Amino acid sequence: MRFADYVSLALRSLRRSRLRSALTIAAILVGATGITVMLTFVTSVKHYVISQFTDSGQDRQVQVAQTSDLSYRASGQVDGGGPGGGSGSAGQVVLGPTQEAAIAAISHVSGVAATSGSFGPGFEYLAFGGKQLSAQRLMGYEPNGVVRPSMVAGRSFGTADRSGVVLLSKDYATALGFGGDPARLVGQMVVLHTQAGYTGGGATLPNVLPPQRQCEQGQRNCFGGPTSGLPAIDIPARVIGIVSSEDQQGAIILPLPWLIDLSDQSQPKQVQYPQSFGNQPRPGQPAGEPVPRTGPPSGPGAVQGGWQRPAAAEFIAGSGGYGSFIVDVDDSANVPSVAATIDRLGLHTATGLAALAEQKHAADVIGLVLGALGLVALGIAALGITNTMVMSVLERTREIGVMRAVGARRSAIRRLFAFEAAMLGFFGGVIGVAIGYTITLVAAPLIRTAVKSGDIAGTSFSVPLWLVGVVVAGTTLIGFVSGLLPARRAARLDPIEALRYE
Amino acid sequence: MATTALVELRDVTKAYQLGDESFRALDQVHLSIDAGDFVAVTGPSGSGKSTLANVIGGLDRPTHGQVVVAGEDLAGMGDGALSRFRIDRIGFVFQSFNLKADGTALENVMLPLVFARVRPKERRARAAACLELVGLKDRMGHRPSQLSGGQRQRVAIARALVTDPRLLIADEPTGNLDSARGEEVMDLLASLGQAGTTLLVITHDPTVASRAGRTIEVRDGKVLEAVR
Repeated sequence: MRFADYVSLALRSLRRSRLRSALTIAAILVGATGITVMLTFVTSVKHYVISQFTDSGQDRQVQVAQTSDLSYRASGQVDGGGPGGGSGSAGQVVLGPTQEAAIAAISHVSGVAATSGSFGPGFEYLAFGGKQLSAQRLMGYEPNGVVRPSMVAGRSFGTADRSGVVLLSKDYATALGFGGDPARLVGQMVVLHTQAGYTGGGATLPNVLPPQRQCEQGQRNCFGGPTSGLPAIDIPARVIGIVSSEDQQGAIILPLPWLIDLSDQSQPKQVQYPQSFGNQPRPGQPAGEPVPRTGPPSGPGAVQGGWQRPAAAEFIAGSGGYGSFIVDVDDSANVPSVAATIDRLGLHTATGLAALAEQKHAADVIGLVLGALGLVALGIAALGITNTMVMSVLERTREIGVMRAVGARRSAIRRLFAFEAAMLGFFGGVIGVAIGYTITLVAAPLIRTAVKSGDIAGTSFSVPLWLVGVVVAGTTLIGFVSGLLPARRAARLDPIEALRYE
Repeated sequence: MATTALVELRDVTKAYQLGDESFRALDQVHLSIDAGDFVAVTGPSGSGKSTLANVIGGLDRPTHGQVVVAGEDLAGMGDGALSRFRIDRIGFVFQSFNLKADGTALENVMLPLVFARVRPKERRARAAACLELVGLKDRMGHRPSQLSGGQRQRVAIARALVTDPRLLIADEPTGNLDSARGEEVMDLLASLGQAGTTLLVITHDPTVASRAGRTIEVRDGKVLEAVR
């Protein structure tokens, strides 16, 4: 018999008992549809996660922190790992410029960026166009291109962006009325309004301290110190980019040097209080011009007028160090060795690679579980095929006898029935994949809406080609195997008995 | 007629085990059928007529003895060789026609050629020629349900002839037909016999048997030659 004859004979007998064939195929396609949809979901998410990692170079990054509870954050590298303001318990190394230099010197390291820890000048609010939004979550990172947040509009910091520029998370854009088109916020000037008593970068400091303000009950960030009488000021900043809210929520991101400059606040050189504070200039000190404090500090321990400013390094160390370092490695293959080298410096590392492996593993486990469920459905359907074929053999006993009489050998009969069963599986698989494909088309927008802010929101759900092949080949094979027993029975029939069968 | 024996049975026994008893459907049968013969096999039900036909046609194997058909000893053949033998040498016609209900006359006649691995184009031509031979040229596209009993049996005969066999075995070919239709079918078989096809017709109808050139009777598994 020729292959085409098996096909046409099998098709013919499937058509002869349409309803039964359709029901058997339906059982198969339920399993095939389930497997197609579930595995499409899992593989699409996995693919998306991997591409997110590799596209942004996170697979080549190591995150460094001083605490061991660091976990790699795929979406928020700018957010420092540990609470920097710790008291530095025994054996803990504070992240500072020394460590940064040490890491940069490790071979295969192509870049290091420090991120802010608990630095923050304490802004009261961010103002734009008459709106005032709370500005609690201040972050910063070195503008050297190592930290690459996912941008919704505009761009991230370049090396020239030392101060005066800011990145806002998309929810700020939305709150400011640019939800539909965040790009329109790019290039606009916003105002960062400090708290009273601000003496950081941009502040104009008087030669004579103003009267100390009393702390009111419930007032935030009221130190009641010698500078508390100073007014709040407005610091202008140009928005150059909007970062994804999935990565950062409610975040105001500044270039790290600027953030340090704003946070590193001057103190009165002469601390004589409370009696030395007053409305009047103190004797011997003229009620002179205010001392402007703009631009970068003029050096370690710079003294301006009656004010003293700590060195940046001193400030960093005093604040508990940087939040974390993000380290770029030249190739993902070198990530483990670089991480190990950094570990030996007494620091703690987490790698995107390890995080990715974890996520991959999780996806594989989910895929395995879902796939197993689908296989159970297919297993039940396989019994249906066997049942159908047993019935078919019984019904066609005489026909089998005739075929044997006109010269069909046992093997031809066996193949014919096995082929028929395989075709039931094949059709179930093909239709199942088609329905599964349709379901993913329909469901993809719904899923995307449902997980709007989740990690997988950007996933494009498409049935991978290999899955189509695997499902169709798999159901065909299942059909074939299910048909073997009935086919064997058909082939073993005694032709004489078969011809006599009523 | 021809002198070479087409069918040669030597000491053929076919035994069945029915419970404790051994039952001999064929009991030490010796038989020789020459090419071109038209042989009627008669005998009561259960006498072993059909077993004889099945053994000669390669559908059944004897328990003992030698069966040689067209120079081939069937005893040593496996399933493949025996199937091939049936395709090439034997055509079967059954009492109840055994046509595929969902196939046309042409498709039914083509069926043996499917197993003979004949190319589709040639199948069609040969099947059409056979249907023409049995007088159903204008019924090729009809399904069995659209044909009369006599026509159905003629389709079955065409199916048996399509592989151009040396021996046509018909088991009660008129059993399901009225006498007029039966006559038609026997006319057709007789004409095939005249054209040189060797015929082995199993029947218990004396009228049918009378058409044959030679009648053998099977009784309790033994072959008795009827003298005419």
